[in-house]
Amino acid sequence: MLIELTDIVKIYNQGEVNEVRALEGVQLSVAQGTMVCLKGASGSGKSTLLSIIGCIYPPTSGRAVIAGTQLARLPDRFLTIHRRQTIGFIFQHFNILPRLSVLENIILPLMPLGFSPARRRAMAEPLLERYGIHHRRNFPAGEISGGELQRVAIARALINDPPIIIADEPTAHLDTHLSREFLATMRELKGEGKTIIIASHDPLVTEDAGLDRRYGVQDGRVTQDVC
Amino acid sequence: MFVNPWSLALCLLSGITLFLILVACKTAVKVLRHWDPAADSQRQIELESEIWLSSTLVQYGLAFQIISLLLYVLAADHFSGMLSGAMCATGALLANDYGLPLLIVKIAGMFLYGLWIVLHQLDISSEKYPLVRLKYILLLLIAPLLLADTALLILYLQGLNPDVITSCCAVIFGEGDKGAVQNLLGRMGSQTTLGFYYSWLALLFVAGFLAWRRQEIILYLLYGTAMALFFVLALHTLIAQLSSYIYAMPFHNCPFCMLKREYGYIGFFIYLPLFATAFCGVMPMLIHLCRARGILAPTVARLQKKLVAVSLFALALYAVLSSYPYLLYLFRGGEG
Amino acid sequence: MRIFLEKHLNLLDYALSSLWRRKGKNLSVFFVFTLVIFLLASFLFLTRSLLVSAQITLRQTPEITVQHMVAGRQESIPLSYMGKIEDIFGVHQVSPRVWGYKYNEVTGANITVMGLSRSPLLGEEVLAEGRFGAQGEQGWAVIGQGVLADLDLGSRRSFSFFRPDLTLKPFSVRGIFAPQSNILTYDLVITGIDDGRDLFGLDPQLATDLLVEVVNPLEIATIARKISQVLPDTRVITRPQILKTYQAVFSWRSGFAAICLISALAAFIIMAWDKASGMAPEERREISILKILGWQTPDVLMVRFWESLALALVAFVSGTILAYIHIGYFQAGLFRSVMMGWSVLRPGFDLVPVVSGTDLFLLFSLSILPYLAATIIPAWRSASVATDSALRG
Repeated sequence: MLIELTDIVKIYNQGEVNEVRALEGVQLSVAQGTMVCLKGASGSGKSTLLSIIGCIYPPTSGRAVIAGTQLARLPDRFLTIHRRQTIGFIFQHFNILPRLSVLENIILPLMPLGFSPARRRAMAEPLLERYGIHHRRNFPAGEISGGELQRVAIARALINDPPIIIADEPTAHLDTHLSREFLATMRELKGEGKTIIIASHDPLVTEDAGLDRRYGVQDGRVTQDVC
Repeated sequence: MFVNPWSLALCLLSGITLFLILVACKTAVKVLRHWDPAADSQRQIELESEIWLSSTLVQYGLAFQIISLLLYVLAADHFSGMLSGAMCATGALLANDYGLPLLIVKIAGMFLYGLWIVLHQLDISSEKYPLVRLKYILLLLIAPLLLADTALLILYLQGLNPDVITSCCAVIFGEGDKGAVQNLLGRMGSQTTLGFYYSWLALLFVAGFLAWRRQEIILYLLYGTAMALFFVLALHTLIAQLSSYIYAMPFHNCPFCMLKREYGYIGFFIYLPLFATAFCGVMPMLIHLCRARGILAPTVARLQKKLVAVSLFALALYAVLSSYPYLLYLFRGGEG
Repeated sequence: MRIFLEKHLNLLDYALSSLWRRKGKNLSVFFVFTLVIFLLASFLFLTRSLLVSAQITLRQTPEITVQHMVAGRQESIPLSYMGKIEDIFGVHQVSPRVWGYKYNEVTGANITVMGLSRSPLLGEEVLAEGRFGAQGEQGWAVIGQGVLADLDLGSRRSFSFFRPDLTLKPFSVRGIFAPQSNILTYDLVITGIDDGRDLFGLDPQLATDLLVEVVNPLEIATIARKISQVLPDTRVITRPQILKTYQAVFSWRSGFAAICLISALAAFIIMAWDKASGMAPEERREISILKILGWQTPDVLMVRFWESLALALVAFVSGTILAYIHIGYFQAGLFRSVMMGWSVLRPGFDLVPVVSGTDLFLLFSLSILPYLAATIIPAWRSASVATDSALRG
């Protein structure tokens, strides 16, 4: 299994008055090359679960093995190193920096890695071509259309060639047409062996034929195949 | 003599460095009291983040210390223009009892900050942060040194006043007539001392090369100790003997004038490799202790080898650059 | 090593573009910082150029000056003292000098008149035109720029002063000092020693003081000590002493000015700290995104460092250039009075800005380092934005 979560508990502000138990004994395994959907209302623990799978922070207790690395009590520095090798993120608002150019946005994850500018461009080039944004590469990201923005976000998630793609409510701000296009891209990536985790409650996503599994998240627990 | 731009700059730098290190010490105290890698508490998360603050602060501290050392020497040179009797920086440093100790404290500080940064790099190379306590204990030990630095600076500047006659650099190593420069090494004549110095240098090269090849603790120990002694010996030889060849003046033995433009800034090219080789030469011996923490062993071993290599390179550079004026003198047959 | 360099180049690259993107926010910091550096640099450059012009001129002054002291006041010195000084081993030559002040009642200026027995004591290069009077020549004078203006000579080359008995003593101008040496020669008239005695009504066996030249400059202090032993009723002043006094006074003045400027610096640092601490939500989001995308906290800190350093360096260069122009072209208009308002020196000379590496280094330590230090903690605060904050919103 590429992602293997066992008895995951996450408690925020442990031992303080504002303690929050976000996850309570979550079990979840995701095989490589599958596409999985997490469905849950806000406050259900879905974002926390995504953050743990995404190596943003470690669980309070339990075993979390992501792409062969056990996350438990890994310092932030090493989580970050693991994250940038393993995970590609696509955010709800795409989180593209509007004042940087399209190309600069896409190569952001490469900046601290010590790749030369030429190498960075060479890595971005195929993605710009593939997602049809090559002609836009020097435009400020704030000035391009929503569809293009979405493709910039996808290209950025892929620049490090990570085995896992995490998308958090990716279609929340897209029309049906763009949402379909997005799902098609995800299916394509799945076909190339990427593992895809989508958190969404958009029926268009949760009903998608490319999904291998659907999980519900409720009150900090994961329920099997609710959809 | 505080009312002077140089004094102000020195005080300002000292104050800033003290502030930075005290802030870092606050983190040190927190880490030593509350560090718990097993906890997932807010406090632990904050501590992990504060590690970056403290390491940045110490790195700035090191940079500031290097700059303030240079500033101090240049300031002394500037002060010598106002102190009757002081002909160059040495005279100004010897104008009262605090000048020289301050210089030594500043140099020692540089080495300690450097050691801390090496420990920090080792520490964060492992997921367990195995040296976290050690490095913060060291940080707490640096603080008194810095306080001493600031105190000595204030005492030194306070004791400086343009009326005191100070000895000039020609007599830094002894009293009496200018013809016989006294040596710290006793009665050995100049040729014997130089012979001893160069034999020691040769020994150092051999020890360093062996340490680099075999990477055994005993060799690191040998190289590190020999290097520490060499550092002192080198400073002494530089002041008492090699410097007069740089200045082409038999009785001018100032360790600082060579930093000035009149002598092509050659001092920088001599001191920089000397400090580098000493630091990189002593470090392998010290960090060998960290090898005991199993997970760090391979990293430490790699670093030791690298440090010895850098040290040897810097040593060679130092040997060439510091001997160059002397060799020039020998080949030109004393005409300079 | 290559990776390390590339990484830092990348971060520098990002920092510069980020600085550019936020130019509005950084503009005020930049302007104030430039101003502070400009003020500090002006003072340092001014001190240095005063010192250098003093040094240039003092190089030509006597190595040892011997004055006769009676009842704690300076009196004329008998020429018989010369022999005793000449007997001291290492003394090259002793020559008498007569000098005093002439007050110009019309303009209120005080002119220094100096009669020398040997000329030129000062080298010819300090003259803008003409020459010193020859041995035995009578009634010659070499005057400073200030005297030229004060006596309103224009193109005339002769003037007169009153003797003590109110008869007129005429002088004809043989040479004029160059403006570069104004710091010492502005209000100076040099003439022959006999003309000097004539003007001040001094006995031929007396002089105002004796100038001693030594064979080896390293022995100045030793010989000065011997003179004061042989002639206990004299005051012996050496050239190095004068230079050190000048330096101490200039340095004290610039230090005093620097203290005032340090408060400006402190105000700026507080402003910089405040600016760096205030973080727009957009900036917060950006850092959080960078961190999710795999940037470490030290990477963000490094970007912040490069930003501060770049800003500081640009301000440094701008402030320094402005200061240079201020001293060179505007003659330190802002601070002239502070630095030069003392009795002996008259503010009537051209400043030639002198930039030395050590002064720039001092300026760097006084300005850039405090600024960098002030940005560390705010930078760390911004770099420790929680990684997942972009995910939440």
